[in-house]
Amino acid sequence: MDNSTEVVAHKLAEILTDYLENNWVGSSPDTPTITAQTNMVTGLQLDSFQVMEFMLEVEDHFDIAVDLESLAEIQTINDLALVVITVQSS
Amino acid sequence: MSILDKFTAVHALKSGLAHTGVDPTTVVFERIISATEGVVEGRSTILAGTNNYLGLTFDPDCIAAGIDAMRSYGTGTTGSRMANGSYSAHGELEAELADFFQVDNAMVFSTGYAANLGVLTALLGKGDIVLLDSDAHASLYDGCRMSGADIFRFKHNDVQSLERRLGRLQDRAGRCLIVVEGLYSVLGDSAPLAEMVKVKERFGASLLVDEAHSLGVLGERGCGVAEQQGVLDKVDFIVGTFSKSLGAMGGFCASKHDALKLFRYISRPFMFTASPSPAVVATTRQALQRLRTKPELKETLWANAKRLYKGLEELGFELGPEVGPVVAVRCRDRESALSDWNTLLTAGVYVNMMLPPATPGGASFLRCSVSAAHSTDQIDTIIKEFAKLRSG
Repeated sequence: MDNSTEVVAHKLAEILTDYLENNWVGSSPDTPTITAQTNMVTGLQLDSFQVMEFMLEVEDHFDIAVDLESLAEIQTINDLALVVITVQSS
Repeated sequence: MSILDKFTAVHALKSGLAHTGVDPTTVVFERIISATEGVVEGRSTILAGTNNYLGLTFDPDCIAAGIDAMRSYGTGTTGSRMANGSYSAHGELEAELADFFQVDNAMVFSTGYAANLGVLTALLGKGDIVLLDSDAHASLYDGCRMSGADIFRFKHNDVQSLERRLGRLQDRAGRCLIVVEGLYSVLGDSAPLAEMVKVKERFGASLLVDEAHSLGVLGERGCGVAEQQGVLDKVDFIVGTFSKSLGAMGGFCASKHDALKLFRYISRPFMFTASPSPAVVATTRQALQRLRTKPELKETLWANAKRLYKGLEELGFELGPEVGPVVAVRCRDRESALSDWNTLLTAGVYVNMMLPPATPGGASFLRCSVSAAHSTDQIDTIIKEFAKLRSG
Protein backbone atom coordinates (compact mmCIF):
# COMPACT_ATOMS: atom_id res chain seq x y z
CA MET A 1 0.00 0.00 0.00
CA ASP A 2 1.56 3.32 -1.00
CA ASN A 3 1.38 6.44 1.11
CA SER A 4 -1.65 8.00 -0.55
CA THR A 5 -3.64 4.78 -0.32
CA GLU A 6 -2.64 4.49 3.32
CA VAL A 7 -3.74 8.04 4.07
CA VAL A 8 -7.08 7.59 2.31
CA ALA A 9 -7.67 4.20 3.97
CA HIS A 10 -6.94 5.76 7.37
CA LYS A 11 -9.50 8.51 6.72
CA LEU A 12 -12.04 5.97 5.50
CA ALA A 13 -11.55 3.94 8.67
CA GLU A 14 -12.28 7.09 10.69
CA ILE A 15 -15.45 7.82 8.72
CA LEU A 16 -16.63 4.23 9.06
CA THR A 17 -15.92 4.24 12.78
CA ASP A 18 -18.04 7.39 13.17
CA TYR A 19 -20.78 5.86 11.05
CA LEU A 20 -20.82 2.67 13.09
CA GLU A 21 -20.97 4.54 16.39
CA ASN A 22 -24.32 5.92 15.24
CA ASN A 23 -25.57 2.88 13.36
CA TRP A 24 -24.03 -0.23 14.89
CA VAL A 25 -26.47 -3.12 15.07
CA GLY A 26 -24.00 -5.96 15.56
CA SER A 27 -24.28 -8.55 18.32
CA SER A 28 -21.34 -7.25 20.36
CA PRO A 29 -21.96 -4.09 22.41
CA ASP A 30 -18.78 -2.39 21.18
CA THR A 31 -18.18 -1.19 17.66
CA PRO A 32 -15.26 -3.06 16.09
CA THR A 33 -11.86 -1.56 15.33
CA ILE A 34 -11.58 -0.67 11.67
CA THR A 35 -8.37 -1.19 9.69
CA ALA A 36 -7.44 -1.09 6.02
CA GLN A 37 -8.03 -4.83 5.87
CA THR A 38 -11.49 -4.74 7.46
CA ASN A 39 -14.02 -6.45 5.22
CA MET A 40 -17.18 -4.35 5.32
CA VAL A 41 -19.50 -7.12 4.19
CA THR A 42 -18.20 -10.32 5.76
CA GLY A 43 -16.28 -8.74 8.64
CA LEU A 44 -18.81 -6.18 9.80
CA GLN A 45 -21.86 -7.80 8.25
CA LEU A 46 -23.08 -4.47 6.96
CA ASP A 47 -26.09 -4.90 4.74
CA SER A 48 -26.29 -3.27 1.33
CA PHE A 49 -28.25 -0.33 2.70
CA GLN A 50 -25.63 0.41 5.36
CA VAL A 51 -22.78 0.18 2.86
CA MET A 52 -24.54 2.69 0.64
CA GLU A 53 -25.26 4.99 3.58
CA PHE A 54 -21.59 4.92 4.49
CA MET A 55 -20.68 5.60 0.86
CA LEU A 56 -22.75 8.79 0.88
CA GLU A 57 -20.62 10.00 3.81
CA VAL A 58 -17.44 9.06 1.94
CA GLU A 59 -18.56 10.87 -1.22
CA ASP A 60 -19.28 14.04 0.69
CA HIS A 61 -16.00 13.95 2.59
CA PHE A 62 -13.85 13.50 -0.53
CA ASP A 63 -16.19 15.54 -2.75
CA ILE A 64 -16.45 12.75 -5.28
CA ALA A 65 -19.21 10.70 -6.88
CA VAL A 66 -18.79 6.93 -6.95
CA ASP A 67 -20.87 5.07 -9.53
CA LEU A 68 -23.09 2.37 -8.01
CA GLU A 69 -21.50 -0.25 -10.26
CA SER A 70 -18.07 0.46 -8.77
CA LEU A 71 -19.32 -0.58 -5.35
CA ALA A 72 -19.92 -4.18 -6.39
CA GLU A 73 -16.21 -5.08 -6.26
CA ILE A 74 -15.44 -3.34 -2.97
CA GLN A 75 -14.90 -5.62 0.00
CA THR A 76 -12.28 -4.01 2.22
CA ILE A 77 -11.45 -0.48 3.30
CA ASN A 78 -8.32 -0.77 1.20
CA ASP A 79 -10.41 -1.64 -1.90
CA LEU A 80 -12.48 1.44 -1.25
CA ALA A 81 -9.39 3.61 -0.83
CA LEU A 82 -8.21 2.55 -4.28
CA VAL A 83 -11.60 3.45 -5.78
CA VAL A 84 -11.57 6.85 -4.07
CA ILE A 85 -8.10 7.60 -5.43
CA THR A 86 -9.11 6.47 -8.93
CA VAL A 87 -12.22 8.66 -8.92
CA GLN A 88 -10.27 11.63 -7.54
CA SER A 89 -7.72 11.38 -10.32
CA SER A 90 -10.22 10.85 -13.15
CA MET B 1 -20.44 -25.30 -6.60
CA SER B 2 -23.86 -25.25 -8.23
CA ILE B 3 -26.10 -22.58 -9.69
CA LEU B 4 -28.56 -23.55 -6.96
CA ASP B 5 -26.13 -22.82 -4.11
CA LYS B 6 -27.31 -19.23 -3.91
CA PHE B 7 -30.65 -20.47 -2.64
CA THR B 8 -29.05 -21.84 0.53
CA ALA B 9 -29.12 -18.38 2.10
CA VAL B 10 -32.70 -17.80 0.97
CA HIS B 11 -33.73 -21.15 2.40
CA ALA B 12 -32.07 -20.29 5.72
CA LEU B 13 -33.92 -16.97 5.83
CA LYS B 14 -37.22 -18.66 5.04
CA SER B 15 -36.59 -21.41 7.60
CA GLY B 16 -35.70 -18.79 10.19
CA LEU B 17 -39.05 -17.06 9.65
CA ALA B 18 -40.91 -20.38 9.74
CA HIS B 19 -39.13 -21.22 12.99
CA THR B 20 -40.50 -18.07 14.63
CA GLY B 21 -43.98 -19.10 13.55
CA VAL B 22 -44.37 -15.73 11.81
CA ASP B 23 -44.02 -15.47 8.06
CA PRO B 24 -45.69 -12.47 6.42
CA THR B 25 -44.85 -13.86 2.99
CA THR B 26 -47.30 -16.72 3.41
CA VAL B 27 -50.42 -14.82 4.49
CA VAL B 28 -53.46 -16.02 2.57
CA PHE B 29 -56.70 -14.07 2.36
CA GLU B 30 -59.30 -16.79 2.14
CA ARG B 31 -61.98 -14.28 1.31
CA ILE B 32 -62.09 -10.59 0.56
CA ILE B 33 -65.30 -9.15 1.96
CA SER B 34 -64.78 -5.50 1.09
CA ALA B 35 -62.01 -3.01 0.33
CA THR B 36 -61.06 -3.03 4.01
CA GLU B 37 -62.06 -6.46 5.30
CA GLY B 38 -60.93 -9.99 4.54
CA VAL B 39 -60.76 -13.41 6.14
CA VAL B 40 -57.43 -14.84 7.30
CA GLU B 41 -57.31 -18.28 8.93
CA GLY B 42 -61.07 -18.09 9.35
CA ARG B 43 -60.92 -14.76 11.18
CA SER B 44 -62.48 -11.53 10.00
CA THR B 45 -59.53 -9.19 9.48
CA ILE B 46 -59.30 -5.45 8.94
CA LEU B 47 -57.10 -4.78 5.94
CA ALA B 48 -54.70 -1.99 6.87
CA GLY B 49 -51.82 -2.89 4.58
CA THR B 50 -53.21 -2.96 1.06
CA ASN B 51 -52.45 0.51 -0.45
CA ASN B 52 -56.13 0.61 -1.42
CA TYR B 53 -56.09 4.33 -0.64
CA LEU B 54 -59.41 5.30 -2.21
CA GLY B 55 -61.06 1.96 -1.50
CA LEU B 56 -62.17 1.53 -5.10
CA THR B 57 -61.63 -2.22 -5.47
CA PHE B 58 -65.30 -2.85 -4.70
CA ASP B 59 -66.71 0.28 -6.31
CA PRO B 60 -69.89 -0.96 -8.08
CA ASP B 61 -69.30 1.10 -11.20
CA CYS B 62 -65.69 -0.07 -11.51
CA ILE B 63 -66.81 -3.68 -11.16
CA ALA B 64 -69.58 -3.16 -13.71
CA ALA B 65 -67.14 -1.57 -16.16
CA GLY B 66 -64.78 -4.53 -15.79
CA ILE B 67 -67.54 -7.10 -16.34
CA ASP B 68 -68.85 -5.20 -19.33
CA ALA B 69 -65.39 -4.99 -20.92
CA MET B 70 -64.72 -8.66 -20.34
CA ARG B 71 -68.03 -9.59 -21.97
CA SER B 72 -67.37 -7.29 -24.91
CA TYR B 73 -63.65 -7.83 -25.49
CA GLY B 74 -62.81 -11.13 -23.76
CA THR B 75 -60.57 -12.09 -20.88
CA GLY B 76 -57.19 -11.04 -22.27
CA THR B 77 -55.38 -9.42 -25.17
CA THR B 78 -53.09 -12.44 -25.69
CA GLY B 79 -50.16 -10.37 -26.85
CA SER B 80 -48.21 -7.14 -26.87
CA ARG B 81 -49.48 -3.98 -28.48
CA MET B 82 -46.52 -3.79 -30.86
CA ALA B 83 -47.01 -7.33 -32.16
CA ASN B 84 -50.75 -7.84 -31.79
CA GLY B 85 -52.14 -4.32 -31.97
CA SER B 86 -53.88 -2.13 -29.42
CA TYR B 87 -57.48 -2.16 -28.29
CA SER B 88 -59.16 1.21 -28.57
CA ALA B 89 -59.47 1.39 -24.78
CA HIS B 90 -55.66 1.35 -24.38
CA GLY B 91 -55.40 4.58 -26.34
CA GLU B 92 -58.45 6.07 -24.63
CA LEU B 93 -56.91 5.44 -21.21
CA GLU B 94 -53.67 7.07 -22.38
CA ALA B 95 -55.58 10.11 -23.61
CA GLU B 96 -57.44 10.35 -20.30
CA LEU B 97 -54.19 10.13 -18.32
CA ALA B 98 -52.58 12.85 -20.45
CA ASP B 99 -55.61 15.04 -19.88
CA PHE B 100 -55.54 14.33 -16.15
CA PHE B 101 -51.89 15.34 -15.80
CA GLN B 102 -52.35 18.22 -18.29
CA VAL B 103 -49.61 17.02 -20.61
CA ASP B 104 -49.61 15.91 -24.24
CA ASN B 105 -48.33 12.39 -23.81
CA ALA B 106 -49.07 9.28 -21.78
CA MET B 107 -48.17 5.63 -22.11
CA VAL B 108 -49.66 2.61 -20.35
CA PHE B 109 -47.69 -0.43 -19.16
CA SER B 110 -48.88 -3.79 -17.87
CA THR B 111 -47.57 -3.27 -14.32
CA GLY B 112 -46.10 -0.44 -12.28
CA TYR B 113 -42.78 -2.28 -12.14
CA ALA B 114 -42.78 -2.61 -15.94
CA ALA B 115 -43.55 1.11 -16.23
CA ASN B 116 -40.43 2.06 -14.29
CA LEU B 117 -38.26 -0.44 -16.13
CA GLY B 118 -39.78 0.52 -19.46
CA VAL B 119 -39.41 4.26 -19.03
CA LEU B 120 -35.92 4.27 -17.51
CA THR B 121 -34.43 1.80 -20.00
CA ALA B 122 -35.90 3.74 -22.92
CA LEU B 123 -34.89 7.12 -21.60
CA LEU B 124 -31.37 6.34 -20.43
CA GLY B 125 -28.35 4.71 -21.95
CA LYS B 126 -24.59 4.48 -21.70
CA GLY B 127 -23.09 7.89 -21.04
CA ASP B 128 -26.21 9.20 -19.33
CA ILE B 129 -26.29 9.82 -15.60
CA VAL B 130 -28.87 9.07 -12.94
CA LEU B 131 -29.03 10.79 -9.59
CA LEU B 132 -31.22 8.51 -7.53
CA ASP B 133 -32.72 9.15 -4.11
CA SER B 134 -31.18 6.67 -1.68
CA ASP B 135 -34.62 5.43 -0.54
CA ALA B 136 -36.02 4.95 -4.04
CA HIS B 137 -38.11 1.88 -4.79
CA ALA B 138 -36.48 -1.29 -6.14
CA SER B 139 -38.20 -0.86 -9.51
CA LEU B 140 -36.46 2.49 -9.95
CA TYR B 141 -33.10 0.98 -8.99
CA ASP B 142 -33.64 -1.92 -11.35
CA GLY B 143 -34.66 0.32 -14.25
CA CYS B 144 -31.62 2.53 -13.74
CA ARG B 145 -29.27 -0.45 -13.55
CA MET B 146 -30.74 -2.05 -16.67
CA SER B 147 -30.37 1.19 -18.60
CA GLY B 148 -26.56 1.14 -18.56
CA ALA B 149 -26.40 4.73 -17.29
CA ASP B 150 -23.95 5.76 -14.57
CA ILE B 151 -25.85 5.74 -11.28
CA PHE B 152 -25.07 7.98 -8.33
CA ARG B 153 -27.18 8.24 -5.21
CA PHE B 154 -27.96 11.26 -3.07
CA LYS B 155 -29.18 11.35 0.51
CA HIS B 156 -32.88 10.76 0.90
CA ASN B 157 -34.91 13.95 0.33
CA ASP B 158 -31.74 16.03 0.83
CA VAL B 159 -31.68 18.86 -1.71
CA GLN B 160 -28.16 19.92 -0.72
CA SER B 161 -26.88 16.39 -1.26
CA LEU B 162 -28.52 16.41 -4.69
CA GLU B 163 -27.08 19.83 -5.49
CA ARG B 164 -23.54 18.81 -4.47
CA ARG B 165 -23.65 15.78 -6.73
CA LEU B 166 -24.99 17.77 -9.67
CA GLY B 167 -22.15 20.22 -9.10
CA ARG B 168 -19.59 17.41 -9.29
CA LEU B 169 -20.95 16.36 -12.67
CA GLN B 170 -20.02 19.75 -14.17
CA ASP B 171 -20.72 19.72 -17.93
CA ARG B 172 -22.33 16.26 -17.72
CA ALA B 173 -25.25 17.61 -15.66
CA GLY B 174 -27.31 18.17 -18.81
CA ARG B 175 -27.32 14.41 -19.39
CA CYS B 176 -28.55 13.76 -15.87
CA LEU B 177 -31.95 12.40 -14.84
CA ILE B 178 -32.95 12.93 -11.22
CA VAL B 179 -35.12 10.02 -10.05
CA VAL B 180 -37.31 10.33 -6.97
CA GLU B 181 -40.63 9.19 -5.54
CA GLY B 182 -43.38 11.65 -4.71
CA LEU B 183 -44.54 9.92 -1.55
CA TYR B 184 -42.16 7.30 -0.18
CA SER B 185 -43.72 3.93 0.36
CA VAL B 186 -42.20 2.87 3.67
CA LEU B 187 -42.23 6.01 5.82
CA GLY B 188 -44.85 7.98 3.90
CA ASP B 189 -42.68 11.10 3.67
CA SER B 190 -42.87 13.28 0.58
CA ALA B 191 -40.09 14.62 -1.64
CA PRO B 192 -39.27 18.38 -1.59
CA LEU B 193 -40.10 18.59 -5.29
CA ALA B 194 -40.42 22.38 -5.48
CA GLU B 195 -36.82 22.78 -4.29
CA MET B 196 -35.62 19.91 -6.44
CA VAL B 197 -37.17 21.51 -9.52
CA LYS B 198 -35.24 24.73 -8.87
CA VAL B 199 -31.99 22.78 -8.60
CA LYS B 200 -32.61 20.67 -11.68
CA GLU B 201 -33.44 23.76 -13.74
CA ARG B 202 -30.28 25.52 -12.60
CA PHE B 203 -28.14 22.60 -13.77
CA GLY B 204 -30.17 21.77 -16.87
CA ALA B 205 -30.99 18.27 -15.65
CA SER B 206 -34.30 16.38 -16.01
CA LEU B 207 -36.62 15.03 -13.32
CA LEU B 208 -38.64 11.82 -13.09
CA VAL B 209 -41.12 11.46 -10.22
CA ASP B 210 -42.79 8.20 -9.27
CA GLU B 211 -46.21 9.12 -7.90
CA ALA B 212 -47.23 5.51 -7.20
CA HIS B 213 -48.31 6.24 -3.63
CA SER B 214 -49.48 9.82 -4.16
CA LEU B 215 -51.83 9.45 -7.13
CA GLY B 216 -55.32 10.17 -5.86
CA VAL B 217 -53.89 11.04 -2.46
CA LEU B 218 -52.18 14.43 -2.80
CA GLY B 219 -52.76 17.55 -4.87
CA GLU B 220 -56.00 19.38 -5.43
CA ARG B 221 -56.97 17.16 -8.36
CA GLY B 222 -55.20 14.10 -6.96
CA CYS B 223 -52.27 14.20 -9.39
CA GLY B 224 -49.76 13.72 -6.56
CA VAL B 225 -46.95 15.52 -4.78
CA ALA B 226 -45.82 17.51 -7.83
CA GLU B 227 -49.28 19.04 -8.14
CA GLN B 228 -49.48 19.65 -4.39
CA GLN B 229 -46.20 21.59 -4.50
CA GLY B 230 -47.17 23.53 -7.63
CA VAL B 231 -44.56 22.04 -9.95
CA LEU B 232 -46.55 19.53 -11.98
CA ASP B 233 -45.69 21.33 -15.22
CA LYS B 234 -41.98 21.35 -14.35
CA VAL B 235 -41.61 17.60 -13.94
CA ASP B 236 -40.28 15.91 -17.06
CA PHE B 237 -41.67 12.42 -16.50
CA ILE B 238 -44.34 11.23 -14.09
CA VAL B 239 -44.66 7.51 -13.56
CA GLY B 240 -47.17 5.66 -11.45
CA THR B 241 -49.32 2.63 -10.98
CA PHE B 242 -52.97 1.66 -11.27
CA SER B 243 -52.62 -0.92 -8.51
CA LYS B 244 -52.98 1.37 -5.52
CA SER B 245 -55.48 4.26 -5.54
CA LEU B 246 -57.11 3.03 -8.74
CA GLY B 247 -57.57 -0.50 -7.39
CA ALA B 248 -56.55 -2.22 -10.62
CA MET B 249 -53.22 -3.25 -12.10
CA GLY B 250 -50.78 -1.64 -14.50
CA GLY B 251 -48.55 1.40 -14.73
CA PHE B 252 -48.11 4.56 -16.74
CA CYS B 253 -45.86 7.41 -17.71
CA ALA B 254 -47.12 10.93 -18.47
CA SER B 255 -44.87 13.58 -19.94
CA LYS B 256 -44.80 16.97 -21.58
CA HIS B 257 -42.03 15.67 -23.86
CA ASP B 258 -43.20 14.33 -27.23
CA ALA B 259 -40.30 11.86 -27.13
CA LEU B 260 -42.54 9.70 -24.93
CA LYS B 261 -44.48 8.84 -28.10
CA LEU B 262 -41.34 7.07 -29.36
CA PHE B 263 -40.68 5.08 -26.18
CA ARG B 264 -43.03 2.36 -27.35
CA TYR B 265 -40.63 1.55 -30.21
CA ILE B 266 -37.61 0.97 -27.96
CA SER B 267 -38.97 0.10 -24.52
CA ARG B 268 -38.54 -3.64 -24.18
CA PRO B 269 -40.75 -4.03 -21.06
CA PHE B 270 -43.49 -2.45 -23.19
CA MET B 271 -42.75 -4.25 -26.46
CA PHE B 272 -42.39 -7.74 -25.05
CA THR B 273 -45.22 -7.85 -22.50
CA ALA B 274 -48.85 -8.68 -23.14
CA SER B 275 -50.90 -5.51 -22.97
CA PRO B 276 -53.28 -4.85 -20.06
CA SER B 277 -56.48 -6.90 -20.28
CA PRO B 278 -59.77 -5.25 -21.28
CA ALA B 279 -61.26 -5.63 -17.80
CA VAL B 280 -58.21 -4.06 -16.13
CA VAL B 281 -58.23 -1.13 -18.53
CA ALA B 282 -61.96 -0.62 -18.03
CA THR B 283 -61.81 -0.64 -14.22
CA THR B 284 -58.79 1.68 -14.31
CA ARG B 285 -60.63 4.16 -16.53
CA GLN B 286 -63.68 4.07 -14.29
CA ALA B 287 -61.55 4.50 -11.16
CA LEU B 288 -59.73 7.45 -12.72
CA GLN B 289 -63.13 8.95 -13.43
CA ARG B 290 -64.12 8.36 -9.79
CA LEU B 291 -60.92 10.04 -8.62
CA ARG B 292 -61.68 13.08 -10.78
CA THR B 293 -65.32 13.44 -9.87
CA LYS B 294 -65.43 12.42 -6.21
CA PRO B 295 -62.99 14.61 -4.26
CA GLU B 296 -64.77 13.52 -1.08
CA LEU B 297 -62.92 10.18 -1.35
CA LYS B 298 -59.63 12.01 -0.79
CA GLU B 299 -61.14 14.00 2.06
CA THR B 300 -62.34 10.83 3.81
CA LEU B 301 -58.96 9.21 3.25
CA TRP B 302 -57.19 12.12 4.91
CA ALA B 303 -59.64 12.22 7.82
CA ASN B 304 -58.93 8.52 8.41
CA ALA B 305 -55.19 9.02 8.04
CA LYS B 306 -55.16 11.86 10.57
CA ARG B 307 -57.26 9.83 13.00
CA LEU B 308 -54.92 6.82 12.85
CA TYR B 309 -51.73 8.90 13.01
CA LYS B 310 -52.99 10.92 15.98
CA GLY B 311 -54.22 7.80 17.77
CA LEU B 312 -50.91 5.99 17.42
CA GLU B 313 -48.91 9.11 18.24
CA GLU B 314 -50.87 9.56 21.47
CA LEU B 315 -50.02 5.99 22.39
CA GLY B 316 -46.35 6.96 22.18
CA PHE B 317 -45.38 5.07 19.04
CA GLU B 318 -42.52 6.45 16.95
CA LEU B 319 -44.09 7.19 13.57
CA GLY B 320 -43.01 8.32 10.12
CA PRO B 321 -42.34 12.07 9.87
CA GLU B 322 -45.53 13.14 8.08
CA VAL B 323 -49.23 12.62 8.66
CA GLY B 324 -50.60 10.76 5.66
CA PRO B 325 -52.16 7.59 4.34
CA VAL B 326 -48.94 5.65 4.97
CA VAL B 327 -48.43 5.36 8.71
CA ALA B 328 -45.17 3.62 9.60
CA VAL B 329 -44.66 2.48 13.18
CA ARG B 330 -41.02 2.00 14.12
CA CYS B 331 -40.31 -1.19 16.08
CA ARG B 332 -37.62 -1.72 18.68
CA ASP B 333 -35.96 -4.45 16.61
CA ARG B 334 -36.64 -7.19 14.10
CA GLU B 335 -37.88 -9.63 16.73
CA SER B 336 -40.43 -7.22 18.18
CA ALA B 337 -41.61 -6.39 14.65
CA LEU B 338 -42.23 -10.07 13.96
CA SER B 339 -43.97 -10.60 17.26
CA ASP B 340 -46.14 -7.46 17.08
CA TRP B 341 -47.12 -8.12 13.48
CA ASN B 342 -48.27 -11.62 14.43
CA THR B 343 -50.18 -10.35 17.47
CA LEU B 344 -52.02 -7.82 15.32
CA LEU B 345 -52.88 -10.39 12.67
CA THR B 346 -54.17 -12.81 15.28
CA ALA B 347 -56.30 -9.98 16.67
CA GLY B 348 -57.74 -9.35 13.20
CA VAL B 349 -55.62 -6.45 11.93
CA TYR B 350 -53.45 -6.94 8.86
CA VAL B 351 -50.57 -4.50 8.39
CA ASN B 352 -47.30 -4.76 6.45
CA MET B 353 -44.08 -5.81 8.09
CA MET B 354 -41.02 -4.05 6.72
CA LEU B 355 -37.63 -5.46 7.66
CA PRO B 356 -34.05 -4.45 6.74
CA PRO B 357 -32.36 -4.22 4.33
CA ALA B 358 -35.47 -3.03 2.44
CA THR B 359 -36.07 -0.24 4.96
CA PRO B 360 -34.65 3.24 5.61
CA GLY B 361 -31.95 3.32 8.26
CA GLY B 362 -31.97 -0.46 8.64
CA ALA B 363 -34.94 -0.21 11.01
CA SER B 364 -37.97 -2.50 11.28
CA PHE B 365 -41.46 -1.11 10.82
CA LEU B 366 -45.09 -2.07 10.96
CA ARG B 367 -46.57 -0.17 8.06
CA CYS B 368 -50.25 0.73 7.90
CA SER B 369 -51.90 2.04 4.77
CA VAL B 370 -55.16 3.86 5.31
CA SER B 371 -58.16 3.73 2.98
CA ALA B 372 -61.06 6.07 2.34
CA ALA B 373 -63.18 2.95 2.74
CA HIS B 374 -62.09 2.36 6.34
CA SER B 375 -64.88 3.14 8.77
CA THR B 376 -64.15 5.19 11.87
CA ASP B 377 -64.79 2.04 13.89
CA GLN B 378 -62.17 0.15 11.91
CA ILE B 379 -59.59 2.90 12.46
CA ASP B 380 -60.37 2.89 16.17
CA THR B 381 -60.04 -0.90 16.28
CA ILE B 382 -56.60 -0.66 14.65
CA ILE B 383 -55.56 1.91 17.28
CA LYS B 384 -56.99 -0.25 20.07
CA GLU B 385 -55.03 -3.30 18.93
CA PHE B 386 -51.82 -1.27 18.70
CA ALA B 387 -52.52 -0.03 22.23
CA LYS B 388 -52.57 -3.65 23.43
CA LEU B 389 -49.05 -4.08 22.05
CA ARG B 390 -47.97 -1.29 24.39
CA SER B 391 -49.65 -2.78 27.40
CA GLY B 392 -48.86 -6.42 26.55
